[in-house]
Amino acid sequence: MKRPSTLTGYALLYLAFLYLPVLFLPLFSFNSGTIVAFPIKGWTLDWYRKLGEQDTLIQALWNSIGVGFVAALLSTAIGLFAARAFVRYRFKGQRAAEGLVMLPLVIPGIIVASSMLVLFLFLGLKPSLVTVALGHIFLALPFAVSILKSAFDDFDASLEEASYDLGVGVFETFRRVTLPVVAPGIIASILVTFTVSFDEFVLAFFLSGNQPTLPVYIWSQIRFPAKLPNVLALGSILLFTSVLLLVLAEYFRRRSSGKGT
Amino acid sequence: MIEKNIIELSGVEKRYGSFAAASGINLDLKEGEFFSLLGPSGCGKTTVLRMIAGFQDPTQGTVTIDGRNMEGVPANNRPTNMVFQSYAIFPHLNVGNNVAYGLRGRAPKAEIENRVAEALEMVELGGLQLRGANELSGGQRQRVALARALIMRPKVLLLDEPLSALDKKLREQMQFEMRNLQQSLGITFVMVTHDQYEAMTMSDRIGVMFNGRLAQVDTPASLYARPCDEEVASFIGEMNILPASVAGESDNALSVNVAAFGNMQIDRNPNVTNPGKGIIIGIRPEQLEIKSEKPEDYPATVQGKVINVAFYGENIHYHVTVDGHDKPIAVSVPNYFHTVDFNRGDTVWLGLQAASAIDLGRGK
Amino acid sequence: MILRSDAAKGYSLSAPATIYVGFLVAAPLAILIAYSFWTQTYVTLDKSLTLKNYREALTDPLVQHLMLRSIWIAGAVTIVTVALAYPIAYFIAMKAHKKTIWLLLITIPFWSSYLLRVFAWKLILGFNGVMNSALLGLGLINEPLSFLLYNEFAVVLTLAHAWAPFAILPIYVSLQKIDPSLLEAATDLGNNAFQRFMRVTLPLTIPGIIAACLIIFIPTVGDYVTPALVGGSDGKMIANLIQVQFGAANNWPLGATLSLMAMLSVGFVAIVFVITGNRLGRRIR
Repeated sequence: MKRPSTLTGYALLYLAFLYLPVLFLPLFSFNSGTIVAFPIKGWTLDWYRKLGEQDTLIQALWNSIGVGFVAALLSTAIGLFAARAFVRYRFKGQRAAEGLVMLPLVIPGIIVASSMLVLFLFLGLKPSLVTVALGHIFLALPFAVSILKSAFDDFDASLEEASYDLGVGVFETFRRVTLPVVAPGIIASILVTFTVSFDEFVLAFFLSGNQPTLPVYIWSQIRFPAKLPNVLALGSILLFTSVLLLVLAEYFRRRSSGKGT
Repeated sequence: MIEKNIIELSGVEKRYGSFAAASGINLDLKEGEFFSLLGPSGCGKTTVLRMIAGFQDPTQGTVTIDGRNMEGVPANNRPTNMVFQSYAIFPHLNVGNNVAYGLRGRAPKAEIENRVAEALEMVELGGLQLRGANELSGGQRQRVALARALIMRPKVLLLDEPLSALDKKLREQMQFEMRNLQQSLGITFVMVTHDQYEAMTMSDRIGVMFNGRLAQVDTPASLYARPCDEEVASFIGEMNILPASVAGESDNALSVNVAAFGNMQIDRNPNVTNPGKGIIIGIRPEQLEIKSEKPEDYPATVQGKVINVAFYGENIHYHVTVDGHDKPIAVSVPNYFHTVDFNRGDTVWLGLQAASAIDLGRGK
Repeated sequence: MILRSDAAKGYSLSAPATIYVGFLVAAPLAILIAYSFWTQTYVTLDKSLTLKNYREALTDPLVQHLMLRSIWIAGAVTIVTVALAYPIAYFIAMKAHKKTIWLLLITIPFWSSYLLRVFAWKLILGFNGVMNSALLGLGLINEPLSFLLYNEFAVVLTLAHAWAPFAILPIYVSLQKIDPSLLEAATDLGNNAFQRFMRVTLPLTIPGIIAACLIIFIPTVGDYVTPALVGGSDGKMIANLIQVQFGAANNWPLGATLSLMAMLSVGFVAIVFVITGNRLGRRIR
């Protein structure tokens, strides 16, 4: 490489801008003082130890995991069919259908949240984890569809034809050829959609009723300065988990596009 | 031996809206022959192959395989197997499992293993069962695809541009091997290709397609010697095209006046579908004589001037302008003595035998 | 395989997704529209049709103020984010050696919880927060800066951080699509680096810029978390008012009206933006 240009310098500064704020959470989660400011008083793991003692937090964690699991599986399942349809077949209104499925990405969160609350109550569904999961499937679907679309993009259509040609029927072909080849994409989609649901706040805030998910629980704690260190420790764990899941997802996504052609 | 038709296409047509990818296809394929569908890209040859395989349904007409009408029979229930252009090697399975794919659950394990080993031997990949699909070279992928199809013991093997992904040397070797394989197995091979040399060297018969229609179905030698029209003539090999007028005709001969060369008697071409008074004559470049003096024993001669010399190694091409024809005439001479006899600007004589002038019917 | 046409298979396979999304977009919209013509006093819903909510929403100075501020903040966030992101996208597409690593680095922070990232900025910008304590400790300031948190600046900064990958990726994609020979041709025809950028690179990336702007602008207008956490009273936006109607104020009809109006204004601004953006792109020669 030539001497670092101003552009490279800017890029490094920008990276710092992206990472530093996020890294302050774990940094101060080890601070023994309760005020989030320099200088750091001392190092401690107390805040992490205390997390396990909080029953409402544990309950919120399980709520989030449950909702995330359901949302991830269902959005990936629905997305799998849609992605296949979009990549493999040509039909009238296809572009409109693809656009519609991407819509949840761009509707302002407050509007999705308020309108779903109104809808679910109208349908007689009380706010609960079920309504949160229904909402999260909606939000996660664009992510699932775009990941699975790229998995199918890399999937040579003649593989399925070769299977039919060798005397194997439609469903068995799906099980023996399509699924294994697209599997890394499916895993990536499940990981990403789980993370989307796990981190989502506004919709859960509106729709969870008295069954808070983890972000809703954190929101309720943020207001109390005394709880800050707790939130920091919890937040750091969440950050770490999300990033870990996403890096895993990226690994699988790469694997799916590295093969199959 | 009575030759039985293994595949019969009658009145087959495939339309996409108003576009006809293939139409009016009538074709009988004989048991045990190597047949090629030849044509430029987009001519519909792959569509025909896929209708035989069952990946596309004809809009009209019937496909019969081994005496059975294939209407409504899906690809997985047809007695055909295919070698795909991309080879479609399952990336998540090793070589052995790729080849065994179609037999799984239909034969005992031990038998599958034996047949896989046998099939891999046949394509000279013996012992490579455990090799990963992504560790194969292009030629190996082609062989795996071949073994995977042949292990099903198809009545007909379909090959979609099977050699186009290989480099030239390997392609020539595989042409030879596939031809041998076909002859030893005695299975009907139907191959789609855009490469005329590939089609000529491998096939018993060739079907030439243009714009969704079968223009001519014939043996390679006959296609070369008696193409049915100008389009086929120019697609297969090189051909000088000259206009001619018919002065008189009998059952199997024409008396014609050929541009530049003058009057001569030629044989009527039985393959011509559109005869007429004003016809065109095709002359293969290697069948013209080129001399510095007027050649003897030729019924038609013309004097001209060399405007271009191209050295090909095994032969030499001259382009010669003559009076009475606006395009230069191509002449090809074998390189017998490592000498180039003529140079640009030389005055030469061209000689034409009646047997070398091919009647191509009316032009377009 | 032979049973049905490709189109039929396409429709039936994509139906679950399109029907689910379509239903969850259309049905609530219909109900929101209905609500916006109803009225509510405490817990009783009056279903007689009235324009009262619209009259209230259009005349209430607070609503007007918040709506305009939402759009202006969203506009500012969009411009700042895209302006900061363009050089990065350009760097990754044109200069960086390990593009995939850079793209991964850019997207990783985005995958942490949005709520937590905003929360982190609150801690950084606070009066007794990370930034002030660090600057004080370094002796750069004598007393804490009070303009950092609880204002529009904090909202714009926080969102510029939150939306970074959404701006970088579309611009990166459009830069990536530029055929290098176009740039060589521009140089060959006598352009210097700056002219080449203005006349070739920039115009060709306008679709990416427009996409980035829309992806950022639309959700920002309706953002709730950031104004609530770092906006203070000066940084409140329309979403906070909508939440109040569905929460504490318990006036769903007004909340529904505000949601619809927010959606309409977003749509209107977005359409105007796309049209002018495309016009601008065509004027460069």
